[in-house]
Amino acid sequence: MPTPQVVPSHISPEEQASRSVEYFQSVHDLFKSSQQVTGAVERSYIVGGYRIRLSFSGPALLALTRAIEHLATDDDSNPDLTICIWDSASTGQRMVSRPWQEDDFLARGVIQGYNTERIYTAFQHGSAAVSVLDMERNLAVFWAPDSNLPYWEYGSPLRSILHWWLLSRGLQLVHAAAVGNSSGGVLIGGKGGSGKSTTALTCLESNLSYVGDDYTLLGMDSGPVVHSLYSSAKLNSDHVQRFPALLPKVANPERLADEKALLFVNEHYAAKVANRLPVRAILLPRVTGLPETRLKRVSVAMTLAALAPSTIFQLPRAGGEAFKFLATFARPLPCFSLEVGTNLSTIPPAIEGLLAEIDSGSLPREE
Amino acid sequence: MTNQRFRVNTPTVTHETIDGEAVIINLDSGNYYSLVDVGSFIWGLVEKGASAGEVQDVILQAYQGDATDVDRGVQDLLAQLQQENLIVPVDDSVTFDNEQVLSSNGHEKPAFNAPLLHKYSDMQELLLLDPIHDVDEAGWPKPVPDPPK
Repeated sequence: MPTPQVVPSHISPEEQASRSVEYFQSVHDLFKSSQQVTGAVERSYIVGGYRIRLSFSGPALLALTRAIEHLATDDDSNPDLTICIWDSASTGQRMVSRPWQEDDFLARGVIQGYNTERIYTAFQHGSAAVSVLDMERNLAVFWAPDSNLPYWEYGSPLRSILHWWLLSRGLQLVHAAAVGNSSGGVLIGGKGGSGKSTTALTCLESNLSYVGDDYTLLGMDSGPVVHSLYSSAKLNSDHVQRFPALLPKVANPERLADEKALLFVNEHYAAKVANRLPVRAILLPRVTGLPETRLKRVSVAMTLAALAPSTIFQLPRAGGEAFKFLATFARPLPCFSLEVGTNLSTIPPAIEGLLAEIDSGSLPREE
Repeated sequence: MTNQRFRVNTPTVTHETIDGEAVIINLDSGNYYSLVDVGSFIWGLVEKGASAGEVQDVILQAYQGDATDVDRGVQDLLAQLQQENLIVPVDDSVTFDNEQVLSSNGHEKPAFNAPLLHKYSDMQELLLLDPIHDVDEAGWPKPVPDPPK
């Protein structure tokens, strides 16, 4: 199993281990106190084949589940991971004062001195939320000051905790979209604004299934597979104009001046969402200004350079192991530049055509 | 300088070479890099413990090129790799087996073209978000106005 990088600190490993466990326990104790006040609200989900229980203190943060409702299960027995979720505003329970110094806040919210092999701690700038995971107990706590979280926290909820825990189970979160059909799926990589969401959302009106358009989950079963994680789309306000059919379905219409448009795909296109597909190819979208969509074979290394940095630099404690995982995942797959046409309706047929070609064993040559 | 050996600056730097193309990430700076052709070959030699002089010897045997051009190309690339903190000098105690490298490089001698280190800085913005902001009464930083992408 890959082991996430541990952040070095001037504090001794023994001291870090002891402080981290103590901190986790105090945050978990406060969660339990808050839940005694509000009552428990519990939901269960199957994520990448693992049973994950979300235990809320009251209903204030229940909207965090909207992006993962397509993974819901009624079977709430024996969770592999339990995530406790609470906020201070609705429960009246104050959070413990932070025990670390200002210069302990590292990039991507990692807290220096409170990250060990067992305990993972991160602070989310922007929402001021704290995520902490006890890997040994398969128990995590997510705390936020209140339920007024930014749209992206609802669009890709519990991202840090899921990234840490799922990686320990051999599953890697990736900043990539995925679509496909009965022949398999294509992973669509690239940094924000490269065309991932445009490509994935265009497929909602086609024969292709939708797995995700921002973050998806990669595994290596008998071969490379992609699991759906969030069925939420985030679009710039100018992009959303290109999808007039989606406009009435936007979840945050009153906040579009300050936020990206958020769409919960499973709430409107439930039949289109696929929870798992074997991956047949990786595509890197590129806007060309030409009307037609075309595919050009590109190298695996070029694909890795597009896929890995935008994943690694957005996830706390992601590093060399994530890079190696993505390299291993991409290495056997054919990779293409998806030259996205201005005529968006040409995108799905191009992808369907590629999947058919792969099925029949005739692939475009590398250039 | 010619006897100087290097190591890849792990764990700050992570890298993979696939089909003759090297992708290198500096996890601290957020920069990432690619090397192709002779650049990727040199990266592989440095990783195996070759000194600057040994890299030049191998390149001269494996590629068709003027010794001065090879010397300049290799030195420039090594200097760049050091400047970007991708490699760091190590003690001259490693044994480098250039026979193994050359035998696995085949018999065709391609022309030597000065290696280019392609650098990409578009991820830096994700790392350089100022992590310290105004704090509330419990010591927690207040939310930043601009959310991450």
